[in-house]
Amino acid sequence: MTVNPFRKPWIWLFCAVAATLPFWLPSYFLHVATVTMIMVALASAWNIPAGIGGLLSMGQSIFVTCGGILASALLVKLGINLWLGAIATAVLAAVIGATMAWFDNRFRLGHLSFALITLAFAEINQLVTFGTDFVGGASGVYLPKDTGDFLQFQFGGSTTYYLVSLALAMLLVALNVAILRSRLGYYLRAIRDNDRAAQAAGVPVLQNNMFAMALSGATTSLIGTFYARYLTFADPNLLASTSLTIYIILAATVGGLGTALGPLVGAVLLVPVGELLSAELGAVLPGLQRFIYGAVVVVVVLCAPSGIVATLSSWMRRRNVAPDPGPTHEDDASAGSGSERQRASV
Amino acid sequence: MDLLIQALVQGVLVGSTYAVIALGMGLIFSVSGIINFAHGDLIVIAMFMCLSAFTALKVDPYLALAVTVPAMVVLAAALYRFLLRRMIGRPFLITVQLTLGLSFMIQSLLLMFYGGEPQRVPSLIEAQIWLVGDIVFEGKLVVAFAVSVVLSVLLFWMLNYTDFGRSVRAIRQNAKAAALMGINVERARLKTFMLGIGVLALAGSLLVPGMSIQPTAGLHLTVITLLAVVLGGMSNFAGILIGGIVIGIAEAFGSIYVSGTLGLIFPYLIFVAILLFRPAGILGRSQ
Repeated sequence: MTVNPFRKPWIWLFCAVAATLPFWLPSYFLHVATVTMIMVALASAWNIPAGIGGLLSMGQSIFVTCGGILASALLVKLGINLWLGAIATAVLAAVIGATMAWFDNRFRLGHLSFALITLAFAEINQLVTFGTDFVGGASGVYLPKDTGDFLQFQFGGSTTYYLVSLALAMLLVALNVAILRSRLGYYLRAIRDNDRAAQAAGVPVLQNNMFAMALSGATTSLIGTFYARYLTFADPNLLASTSLTIYIILAATVGGLGTALGPLVGAVLLVPVGELLSAELGAVLPGLQRFIYGAVVVVVVLCAPSGIVATLSSWMRRRNVAPDPGPTHEDDASAGSGSERQRASV
Repeated sequence: MDLLIQALVQGVLVGSTYAVIALGMGLIFSVSGIINFAHGDLIVIAMFMCLSAFTALKVDPYLALAVTVPAMVVLAAALYRFLLRRMIGRPFLITVQLTLGLSFMIQSLLLMFYGGEPQRVPSLIEAQIWLVGDIVFEGKLVVAFAVSVVLSVLLFWMLNYTDFGRSVRAIRQNAKAAALMGINVERARLKTFMLGIGVLALAGSLLVPGMSIQPTAGLHLTVITLLAVVLGGMSNFAGILIGGIVIGIAEAFGSIYVSGTLGLIFPYLIFVAILLFRPAGILGRSQ
């Protein structure tokens, strides 16, 4: 049985401290905190198909484009209410996600094929976005000024935006916990560890994969709308680029793939470091943020390949401290041998 | 009709270089199971080396090969020894994560050294064209094609008739059995990695004349290479060569026949379409 991290006191402590940030943090740092929470949400949404289900989606930027750029363009060009646009594009993203999972089902290349198919779709998405005037092409779409009108998907000042981003992040973490503890979560993990065995045992592989991708697509799209609204600028260089997907993947995997808290831990560790460094040194060394990101990932892969959360919790278990959340997860076929190894070491 | 032949010629000429790059990736994959998402970034490193050679010494990219290939082979050996060797036999996702991290590091290092502006490396034969009938043959592409064909012939000869090639094929079939037969698997993997990256450095010089290069160009090259490898069926070497040429032709048709964005996405559409009908690759057998 998966441990529920929301039963632990410290996660509520984290939420409580995080909720007080706007009252004492200078505004620039509050911006960093907001971006961090958005990344927590994005990484958690990616974790559903990829971490729990083993579907390594490299197409998250497609969903962010739907919610972030397309919904903004619908508002600016056609005057469609952003709430309506957000919902419509979320549905579109869900359909795209399910379609990619369906495509993958036709191929016989294992885990690799899904990464490649979604990557191909992501490249198509980037080219189409940059080449379509309706969504602003390469120069993007500027959203109207935020007047705090909630009915227009406007949240007023930076404090409210931060609190909404925190709520979004926690909702997505909770969604991960709920899925891990539900039938869907067990199905997805069975498919991840051995899809043929799962199929033979009666798990509907295709439906579950499609559902996981649709769910990830819809939530990612909604976060994308919020992100674009927060920045008041739907920037295709940020929202439609495959780099965004890579940031998401790296944040989630550094924290710990397939665990509910992994994306939270990874993003909270990586994003502020990157943002602050690029603000301090961005003018002198423009690539430093990415470099640090990349270097941290390489170090984590070498030292704690199953992610920080899993490594910490097995370390704590070895010290006979109360176990921490989340299943230790190792991908693919080695999942069985991995947990055996861990059991042996306890 | 001329336009059709022109598109085919263009596609085959460019595609041959993609094919050689993809063959390098396919060789590495088949002996080690590693898919290197920093493959394209390594090409970009080789290209920027050509740029440095040109700005410092006015050396033509084709001559810069004498430096770039050995340098990249040494870099490959170091990468394999210290990073990628540990990934063998590990879950696929760990390797993806590591090589994506590596890709970020390479891109940002290049950005720090060279800045983000697109830059060009000129070459003597950059503007050279030959006309056969009404068909244009660009000099740099003809050179790239000739070198790529020679390289692939050499690689295939090596795979079929040398001890090293035989050990590569044995490891591809079954690494444990190969080790039991007395093959030094570790050494063969190291050599294959150096070979694959050396070929890639050479291909970098072939592609670079007249092309504008940017530190972030690597991901696109990785994707193109991956498309070719997947089309070929991952470790079917002949299939990979065909895959590379198919991608080259799709790119040429996209840019000549279809205007605007749709032309650019043509290779991806072709990729998806082919895989829908041949799920195991062009020459692969469907299960």
